[in-house]
Amino acid sequence: MSASLKITNLVKKFGGLTATNDLSFTVEPGQSVGLIGPNGAGKTTVFSLVMGEHRQTSGSIMLDGEELSKMTTPARIRRGVSRTYQVPRPFAEMSVAENIRVGLMPDSVFGMILKGPNRDRELELAMAVGFSENDLDRTPAELSMGDLRKLEMARTMATDPKVMLLDEVFAGLTVAEIAMISGLVQKMRSDGMTFLIVSHDLKALEPLVDTAIAINYGSMVAQGSYGDVMSSEAVRASYLGEA
Amino acid sequence: MTQILIQGLLLSGLYALIAMGFTLIFSVGRILNLAYGAYLLIGGYTYFYFAQTLGMPKIAGVLLAAILGCTMGILKFKLLVKPLKGDHVAVEISSLILAVVLQAGVVLMFGDSSKILLPIIPGVERIAGAAVPYSNLFAAVASWVILIALYFFVRKTHTGRAMQAVSMDPKGAAISGIDADRINMITWGISGTLGAVAGVFFASYTQLYPGMWVAPLIIAVAVVIVGGIGSIIGTLIVAHIIGFMEVMTSAFIAPELRGVMTMALIIGVLILRPKGLFGREEL
Amino acid sequence: MELRWYHFAAWAAFVVFMFLMPEMVSKGTLRIFIFANFLAVFAISWDVLSGRTGYVSFGHPFLIGIGAYTTAILTKRFDVPVELSIPIAVIVTMIAGLLVVLPALRIKGSYFALITLAYMELIYQLVQVIRPDLTGGTRGMSGLPTLTRGAVNGYYMSLTLMVIVAFCVWLLMRTRIGTALSAIGMNEEAVKGSGLSVTRLKLFAFLLSALIAGLGGAFYVHYLGSIAPRALFDINFVFTIIVAALIGGASTTIGPIIGAFFLTFLLEYLRPYLPGAERYFIYGGVALLLYMYQPKGIYEIINQGWSKVRARS
Repeated sequence: MSASLKITNLVKKFGGLTATNDLSFTVEPGQSVGLIGPNGAGKTTVFSLVMGEHRQTSGSIMLDGEELSKMTTPARIRRGVSRTYQVPRPFAEMSVAENIRVGLMPDSVFGMILKGPNRDRELELAMAVGFSENDLDRTPAELSMGDLRKLEMARTMATDPKVMLLDEVFAGLTVAEIAMISGLVQKMRSDGMTFLIVSHDLKALEPLVDTAIAINYGSMVAQGSYGDVMSSEAVRASYLGEA
Repeated sequence: MTQILIQGLLLSGLYALIAMGFTLIFSVGRILNLAYGAYLLIGGYTYFYFAQTLGMPKIAGVLLAAILGCTMGILKFKLLVKPLKGDHVAVEISSLILAVVLQAGVVLMFGDSSKILLPIIPGVERIAGAAVPYSNLFAAVASWVILIALYFFVRKTHTGRAMQAVSMDPKGAAISGIDADRINMITWGISGTLGAVAGVFFASYTQLYPGMWVAPLIIAVAVVIVGGIGSIIGTLIVAHIIGFMEVMTSAFIAPELRGVMTMALIIGVLILRPKGLFGREEL
Repeated sequence: MELRWYHFAAWAAFVVFMFLMPEMVSKGTLRIFIFANFLAVFAISWDVLSGRTGYVSFGHPFLIGIGAYTTAILTKRFDVPVELSIPIAVIVTMIAGLLVVLPALRIKGSYFALITLAYMELIYQLVQVIRPDLTGGTRGMSGLPTLTRGAVNGYYMSLTLMVIVAFCVWLLMRTRIGTALSAIGMNEEAVKGSGLSVTRLKLFAFLLSALIAGLGGAFYVHYLGSIAPRALFDINFVFTIIVAALIGGASTTIGPIIGAFFLTFLLEYLRPYLPGAERYFIYGGVALLLYMYQPKGIYEIINQGWSKVRARS
């Protein structure tokens, strides 16, 4: 359950604004890479392009050597790449179990009808992100921000990804919740999952990643081990310039 | 040819007036007011009651229709749109219910049968072989006057510019200290007024009957869809496209098909250019 | 979501009760029940598409009308037996609906509602001018073969149709497809983000809706024995269907049935006081207040009342 994500010469223009400018990098199977940069640097745009929510102006996105660029979002998810969102998007009137169920569904109408829900797997995923069995029937309205992020993680994991893109997973969480999610990511890393992680919380990010990529104005600023990237002059300049 | 030109211009002027009230609500509040046709209905019947049944001066009839339309618009905003805040589907569905209720109310008071409105100004002028009733001419001229006044209101006055601001970015407008509720209420009032006055003209064009609100609603919908969201100029252009298309269909193909062409245009534009011919423009 | 014995017991009790109805009420009341049954079928059809996925259709009579007109034309003009013409009508409804809606599925929110309204007006006008020798033009057609004679038989026929449709839809919506369709109504982007092809799901909802609408329309026309464009492609008809589904409780199967019966009987009890179209004044007023009070409908009101009673005991 691991795959490589290779991005080559990725360009995305929104009208006159270049959100992603000739970006190339590779995330090797089982590797965890942090994507950092100041606000508006284009981190979330990279995620949207990988998922096909926006189409790139030019460049290529390959998962295990397979070109994703022409595929729809659901097709890419079936290939094994999945993401979370900065703002969690639960199904408001469904229980935790049903929310996870949607992620577990096969993308075929008959598949949905003929086979019932896999309750064991739903529970397993819910427990994996730190819910208890009693939480399965709760609705998003009763959940805290941390719980909603956990739910989002569980639904993303339910699609059985090989590469996971995590967008600001720590935003709005308590210290205990950060530790909990962090532990979950560590566990999945040791199981061989490939990660690309965006976070503003650089402290929380550090232990989770093997290498880091810094971008600003859509262009690569630095790349390498986490320590090297953080001490790079260019990265410091981009963060300070932002303030 | 001249005949088509004249008829097209007259009809298009009326259509522009009908569509304008609907467009205003759609651009400021992003709400499809399916009860909009009912303003025309109420406007037509109010005029009929005061000017024809009670024999009051015609101008008083039009004014009373306008006042009632304005009141209805504001009441609808206060009692229906605000309580359902944010839920567009709910507003649209309850608007549809409201329109049916108002239609039934008209039946209750005036009966099911259709009424003929006496022309606002009697007499017919012959221009290049085309018979042009003064009433229609008056309706077209009045439409233009109202539309130009509206244009300057939106562009030049403080309230008008606040409407533009809310239309472009409600949150930004709120931060700049614009009371969006007040602006919305004013917009609903104006929309009701325009609808009711358009109703008087529309009813004198066709006839007055309880089901008459559907056709103008469809025209308003068509103009909004084809023109894109809420630009006064766009609304004007599209009203002319639709008006002329209907007149030409009636003249050259078959009068029964005029509505078909309008529908076909709506569907075609929605499918090919979901954002309308003129895209998103400000008010 | 699991099926339990008491679900089936409730269905069985409902069916037995409904089948005993002719013993309990007069023929006149039975005729009202017939209309309620048909309205329930139409409301379920609307709900499958609009109640669940949130894509509001303001032109549902468009689908019902295709079904009704297909079988009417086939039986009247081409002497096709009803047993054959109804299945054909259902298939034609699904295909025609599909051709028409395929491009419209890209369109979101209010615009989808508008395009369905436009489709209804379009077919209303087309039916009157294109081949009036087939469609009967403005006046429609009468003297169509009827499936049943008398109120009791008509009642059994409409009840059977309604129960079969309701039961099948209920079963289907209890599977994961029901969950997926409701998920679209709540957050379409997140369904996409869960790896599901939203277009395919919407297409399925639409086809199912068209199937039920075509079936209902075809049976309805062979119950009435006549068809008229103004009665069918009418905004009042759209209104009745939507209101039945919403007042009863959208996104449930029992809700549209409750709504259909509630509204049909409300309309009927108003008849002695208000014989004509002005009945809609009270009827619509009640509907509007109920909807504003509880957008989730009578089903939810009963549910909440029930949990209060349980909490007290």
